[in-house]
Amino acid sequence: MVLLKLCWLLFVINALTIGGGFVMLPMLQKEFVEKHHWLTNQEFLDAIAIGQLTPGPLTVMNAVIGYKVSGVLGAILAMVSSYLPCIIIVTLVAKYYYDYRESKIVQSSFKGIKPAVIGLLAAVAISLGNTALVDPLTFGIAIISFAVIAFTKTDPSFVIVGAGILGAVLL
Amino acid sequence: MEDKITVKDIFWKFLKIGSFSFGGVYSMLAFFERELVEKEKWLTHEEFVESVAIGQMTPGPPIVNTGICIGYKLKRIKGALATTAGQSFTGTLLAILLAVFYVKSKGNVLLTSVMKGVGAAVVGLLLSIIFKMSKSTIKNLKSALFALAAFFALALFNLNPIGLILASGIIGLFVYGRRP
Repeated sequence: MVLLKLCWLLFVINALTIGGGFVMLPMLQKEFVEKHHWLTNQEFLDAIAIGQLTPGPLTVMNAVIGYKVSGVLGAILAMVSSYLPCIIIVTLVAKYYYDYRESKIVQSSFKGIKPAVIGLLAAVAISLGNTALVDPLTFGIAIISFAVIAFTKTDPSFVIVGAGILGAVLL
Repeated sequence: MEDKITVKDIFWKFLKIGSFSFGGVYSMLAFFERELVEKEKWLTHEEFVESVAIGQMTPGPPIVNTGICIGYKLKRIKGALATTAGQSFTGTLLAILLAVFYVKSKGNVLLTSVMKGVGAAVVGLLLSIIFKMSKSTIKNLKSALFALAAFFALALFNLNPIGLILASGIIGLFVYGRRP
């Protein structure tokens, strides 16, 4: 029953992940951390870090969530349900590309969704920041990470590894 | 040309692509183009560009979606499944291994310190994503209002993000869909 719910939620969330992998975070946090308590905020942060460190898109973090909820089977089913909506939607769009591209409905609804997800992400960043930023040092790490990723071309994976080493040494 | 490509070939090629897909979207796309268009000649440059466009305008990770589209062009639904499986195999396996390790060593003092640093970096990463997305998406008052409304709806009123995304799509339809 838990597995079914996990799969259904991941299917819906991934079908609505419009504009990049990070868009799923507000939905994941609400459903898995706040509503179902399958993870804590800290575990959610750690899942994001693992998703970022492993090759492939952030979506891989759903395998971590699936594992936490229901072991290896949970992890595999989590990935299948995350990619199923992609396969369905992309193959349909590939078939009807020209109609889709010109579609007013798709264009105008995406125009509303794309800025809205930025607001949602900002709210999630505050919530996760409350958990992760507990002293001047963690604040410092967050600010430096922000600056390095936003203003240089450094791969975020390096920043995360660096912050982990810094944490091991200083915290 | 396309008849000679088997589903197995597609799987192995995308396994390779998926295993080395560190780095940003653009370096990944360059890798795709080199492997699939220049080296294997599985698709033309135009087909590739169209696949990238489709990958970016569909829900889900753009790179995986580009792969799905290419797989579908090569071998219909079987090709789409092969690219997805190939692309996600290594990452999923590694994520499961890390998750096992993570759950097993819960409470370990060193891991707790490492994850404290990592958690702070993730918050910084998230802020930089918000910063970059804002620069490319929030261009006028209307789009700023969409972002602000969504922010307050979640941060203050704790409404459900799934509902909020659906609602902003519907409102977008009314606001932007009426132009002649």
